[in-house]
Amino acid sequence: MREESWIKLLKFLGSAFLLIFCLSPFVWMLLISFSSQPDFLSANVKLIPTFNNYVQILLNSSVHILDYLKNSIIVALVSAFFTTFFAGLSAYAITRLRFPGRILIPLLLLGFSMFPQISIVGYLFKLLTAVGWINTYYALIFPYITLGLPLALWIMLSYFSRVSLELDKAALIDGATRFQILQKIIFPISLPGLLSTFILIFIYSFNEFLFALMFTIDYNARTIPIGIALFEGFYGQIPWGYTMAAAVIAVVPVILLIAFFQKYIIQGLTEGAVKG
Amino acid sequence: MKSIKNIFSNNETCSAYLFNLPTIISALVFIFLPVIGTLITSLFRDVTYLPGKFLWFSNYERLFADPHFWQSVNFTLLFVIVSVVLELFFGLIFALVLNEAIPGRGFLRIAILVPWAIPVAISARVWQLIYHFDYGLLNFIFMKLGISNTHINWLGSSSGAFISIVISDVWKTTPFMTIILLAGLSTIPRVLYKQAEIDGTNFLQRFFRITFPLLKPVIVVALLFRTIDAIRIFDLIYVLTGGGPGGSTTSISLYAYNYFVSGDFGYGSAVSVIVFILAAMLALLYIRFGRFGEVIK
Repeated sequence: MREESWIKLLKFLGSAFLLIFCLSPFVWMLLISFSSQPDFLSANVKLIPTFNNYVQILLNSSVHILDYLKNSIIVALVSAFFTTFFAGLSAYAITRLRFPGRILIPLLLLGFSMFPQISIVGYLFKLLTAVGWINTYYALIFPYITLGLPLALWIMLSYFSRVSLELDKAALIDGATRFQILQKIIFPISLPGLLSTFILIFIYSFNEFLFALMFTIDYNARTIPIGIALFEGFYGQIPWGYTMAAAVIAVVPVILLIAFFQKYIIQGLTEGAVKG
Repeated sequence: MKSIKNIFSNNETCSAYLFNLPTIISALVFIFLPVIGTLITSLFRDVTYLPGKFLWFSNYERLFADPHFWQSVNFTLLFVIVSVVLELFFGLIFALVLNEAIPGRGFLRIAILVPWAIPVAISARVWQLIYHFDYGLLNFIFMKLGISNTHINWLGSSSGAFISIVISDVWKTTPFMTIILLAGLSTIPRVLYKQAEIDGTNFLQRFFRITFPLLKPVIVVALLFRTIDAIRIFDLIYVLTGGGPGGSTTSISLYAYNYFVSGDFGYGSAVSVIVFILAAMLALLYIRFGRFGEVIK
């Protein structure tokens, strides 16, 4: 029985360590965002709670924090939608139809996903400049769809391959087209998979940095990670209170997502990595 | 309209390609074309305000002769090794904890996703404040606990900056490792542990005789994913140290980026090709030694 109590203690310590490890920077960000002085740890400075940081960055129109957030959310939503849809189309064909390239397409995509972003960013910048898309949503949405496709496809493949082919056969006999089968039968049955994919791609697109840094110029298209990374404030020095308030506003959407969809996110990550 | 319908219902191959069209087109235009373009550009002088010129491999010659390039390669490899090993260590601990039936497991699972879900650029800003020389949390804790009696210059010294980057990256990416390992753990039948317990083994013996060997394929996959990802590190460093002090934390990706931004696309492309080759070599290494195929099944 002694060992059992040891294990209990280890479990408790492990959970406590996990919580501190994961949450302390987040808690620190919250704390600073609500304090009037970022340096309250120094001697002679007190922690005075305030909403001023939030009021300032939301009211000052030159900060554009809400524009950045809006851009991020639009780009991530649209990218997630199309990535999921395209991956669903491909996954349907790969699991249901016989055609040359059935094995090759997912493998090639997996290979493509190994290309580091830096190895395509330079040429992509030239392409996007040539078509005049720099500083538009298109400059982010199209590359994000492509970046997300390999992961999305592998998740969808593992969900679709679990759906019985008998359903397709029955529907074909009833005169349904392949697309109708996908839309009316396979998609609804695989809803958890669709949701996992959608949320994962949303978060990846929301967090993407290098492309957003290279392909956007100002608040018309710039996303919130870039906005906060380049946030220098009004007086040159880094205004920590404002920066942390902006950071809190920026992470609210993703924190809500993981709070509500924790199960789907973990499932998606697992399907994408262990099977893919 | 009728002909489209025919294609969809009659010709399987045709409809298969139609279904795959969006995927194929986007992969061709937004990955394949840029990769080929980068390969070609790396053979040219491609600098803003100068006429282009075919150079054969002189961008690469210049690259291999540049000590700053080698510095960035050294930094990147050291960073990858140190941080991936630490992530595996912490990831294993967290996965073992989460695999147990403990109270509040749902909340712990949300907590573990927080570092993963927050954009790196944003958490890097928080870390910057935590490492702050005068009023950062880390120096405060170190002074209070008596670990150090002076403020440590985390981001201003090259060793401090390296450690800072590793800490922040381990914080950010351990959750991913944890989740992958957790998936592996959950496939190990509980019966094995029960039997081993009856046989009188202790906790550590059970870990090294059952958990670790059975988890090995999953560990290899997790390491593969993380290594390929870590070798591209860019955003954390861009925000946290900007590659400094004195270029000591410039990763290969940041090194390439700096050339793209200054308008030297030919040279930047050559560096990008090297990043790609490094990542590909690592992937092949793992596939060879990790018997990756068995995991895919």
